[in-house]
Amino acid sequence: MSESVWAGRAGTPRSAGAEARLARNPKLDQWICYWSIPFFYTLFGLIFVLFGRIMPPPSPTASIEDVLEYMQAPKLGVGMALLSLTLGLASLSSGVIVVQMKRMEGISPVLPYAYLTALAVAGVPGCLFPGFVFALGNFRPEYSAQIQQMLYDLGFLSFVGSLGCFVIQYLVFAIAIFLDRRMIFPKWLGYLTIWALVTELVAIPIWITRTGPFAWDGLLSFYLGTVLFVGWEFCMCVCLYRAIKNQPVEELIGRAAAHGE
Amino acid sequence: MNTRDQRICLGLVPVFGALFLIGFTICPGLFPPLSPTMTAEQVAAFYRDHVGQIRASMILFNLIGIGFIPFFMVIVVQMMRMGNPSRAFAYSYLAAAVSGGTLFALADLAWLNAVARPDRDPQLTLLLNDLAWFSFTTPVGFIITQNLCLALAIYMDALPEPVFPRWVGHFNVVSALLMVPGAFALLYKTGPFAWDGALSYWLRITTYTLYVAVMFFVVRTAIHRQVAREGRVLAEAASA
Repeated sequence: MSESVWAGRAGTPRSAGAEARLARNPKLDQWICYWSIPFFYTLFGLIFVLFGRIMPPPSPTASIEDVLEYMQAPKLGVGMALLSLTLGLASLSSGVIVVQMKRMEGISPVLPYAYLTALAVAGVPGCLFPGFVFALGNFRPEYSAQIQQMLYDLGFLSFVGSLGCFVIQYLVFAIAIFLDRRMIFPKWLGYLTIWALVTELVAIPIWITRTGPFAWDGLLSFYLGTVLFVGWEFCMCVCLYRAIKNQPVEELIGRAAAHGE
Repeated sequence: MNTRDQRICLGLVPVFGALFLIGFTICPGLFPPLSPTMTAEQVAAFYRDHVGQIRASMILFNLIGIGFIPFFMVIVVQMMRMGNPSRAFAYSYLAAAVSGGTLFALADLAWLNAVARPDRDPQLTLLLNDLAWFSFTTPVGFIITQNLCLALAIYMDALPEPVFPRWVGHFNVVSALLMVPGAFALLYKTGPFAWDGALSYWLRITTYTLYVAVMFFVVRTAIHRQVAREGRVLAEAASA
């Protein structure tokens, strides 16, 4: 039934290819966005762990010699160039999550739109700006030691310490899950999201202390936060997969048909 | 549906485009670009010698820097009309456009700050200059994502009369690819990838300019067709 709706509108040769593709895989657009997430995070891991050595982070109390050595590593610049090139991919995950959030019952589009914009904002202070800062130090070994040290601090503090955008992202996502009567995402993901939000709060002290568990390389501020984030992202992927999978095809057809006639 | 708002936003494209061209031509050090190989003293002297012109052009850029956002939102609205099964690509496009716009604003602040205190330590002026050029040149990932989302949405547009013709999809993919080298300006002070290089500067600026110009006419046609099509639907409804 559902496939015939697509096939029945295959009138002009120009759109016939698109019709056939969508008849075979009516959720193709959502799946492309979905699979960008594991692809992006694999890249993200390569960039931040292997190339940048930004994760796990070096010490906030590193000597000036160590800072200069860190900033001059050739791979750091390569990593940041790859980040500049690929960070846009993060938008695709927001795109598909918004589509699924808008299926929820009992909420208006307010929360999905807040989710989309909070993340669109977060990408710059929380990721690309620190990337530029590291790249600057890497680009110009001739900067004075003082400037290099400031870039080192600014890079790590912005990367680990951009808290608010992510707090809002988690907050609106959790509220949406709790209000949703249709259970697009399971309630436990909402509770887990609250924990992810708490890790942002646990990172507050990196702005104050340079040693111990609450420093930017600390057991709580960095390691606990990272473990919880990775766990959250993994659960998010599983739940999102199920949400897309379980979406009735008629819902999709309804949207397209309403605009197609 | 009334398309007046879309036509107004579209009409802003040539206005902002012209202002951009004016800004580009009056700004020293932007067209042609400053070399990344200049020393701190040379950079500081350059800003000191051109305070007035840089200030004038950068204040202009400050005002018009994200002037194409309304245009990109018209594209979002047109994407939402497409016969895609969901609006995933339209939302992704919107998010990428927002992130990308921020970077030009950041570059402008760094440039303006570089001339705000001409007697500053040259090392700091160099730092602001580098930050400005990085933010201006390298965050190509966002426009690439926008173009690829639009291309995919066009390829999957199953409407009997697609919103954009298929070649617009190919055009978007090619434009995205031509902007890739810009990201590598973070790595090179000389050669085609440097921020003043053949690929990272000339090819990127040319591609972007051509892209906006071509998409202006493409979107204009799409809006005209939307008006014609919806007029037809209304006429049919009235006669039925």
